[in-house]
Amino acid sequence: MSSIYYYLAGFLFTLGLLGTIFKKDLISILLCLELMMGGVSLLIILFSRSTGLLDAQLLVFFMIIVSACEVAIGLSLIIALHRKKQTIYTDDIKIITE
Amino acid sequence: MAYDILLTIMTMVFALMVVFSKKTVVAAFSLLMTLLSIAMIYFQLGTVFLAAIQVLVNAGAIAILFVFVMMLINLEQFQNNRERSKSKLIISILTTLIILGVFSLIINNNIEVLSAVNISDNSMKTLFDKLFTEYYLPFEMATVLLLAALVACIVITGSEKGIKQEQEKLQENLNE
Repeated sequence: MSSIYYYLAGFLFTLGLLGTIFKKDLISILLCLELMMGGVSLLIILFSRSTGLLDAQLLVFFMIIVSACEVAIGLSLIIALHRKKQTIYTDDIKIITE
Repeated sequence: MAYDILLTIMTMVFALMVVFSKKTVVAAFSLLMTLLSIAMIYFQLGTVFLAAIQVLVNAGAIAILFVFVMMLINLEQFQNNRERSKSKLIISILTTLIILGVFSLIINNNIEVLSAVNISDNSMKTLFDKLFTEYYLPFEMATVLLLAALVACIVITGSEKGIKQEQEKLQENLNE
C-alpha cells in the first residue's frame, strides 16, 4: 500500500510548479524548484522499488549532485544580482528587455 | 500503512508551508523539514543509502545554504507582497487537477505493476559495484561538474570589482 506515495510525488511536483510560476522573489522560486526535484526523485525511487532496477537509485544519486550544483550557482547568481541591482524581485529585473 | 499516511500528511503540510508561508526564512526551514520527511520515506521504502545522502546533502547542505544567503542579502527589507487574483486561482486549480488527474489515471491503470515490491538485491555492495564499474564515467563526470560549479560560484560572487561596487553603494547609502 505504498501507492499513496505516487500521489504525494505528484502533489509535490504540482506545488513546486505553481510556486515557481507565481512567486515573485528569486529565493522562493529556487525553494520551489527544490520541492519539484524532491517530488521527481521520490517518483524515481518508487519506480525503482516496483521494477527492482538498482539503476534508478543511482540516477537519483546523480540527480542530488546536479541539484546541489544548481542551487549553489543559482544562489550565487542571486547574490551577484543583489549586488548590481539591489533587488531580488523578478518584476524589477528587465535586463533582457532593456 | 499507518506510517505511510502519517509520513504523507507530514510531507504535504511542510510542502504547503514552503509555498504559503509569509516569511522566506520559515519557507526555507519548511523545505528542510520536507526534505527530511522525504528522507524518512526513502528509509521506509528500503533505500537506506539514498536516505542518508538526502539527509547529508539535500537537508544538511542545500537548505542551510538558503538560510546563509538570506542572511547575506538582508531579507528584512523585502516584503512578501502577495496580491490575490482570480486568474491565479483558476490556473492553480486547473494545473493541479490536470496533473493529479493524469497521475491517478496512470496509477489506476497500472496499479498491479506499480504497487508490486520487487527488490532483488538492495545491498550497498551491489549498488557500489554498479556505481564503480558500469557507472564509472558518470561518476567522474559528476566530480568534474562539482568542480565546475565551485569555480563558477567563485567567479560569479567573488570578483573584486563586484565587492568594490557593493562597498561603494553601501557608502553612498550611509552618506544619504
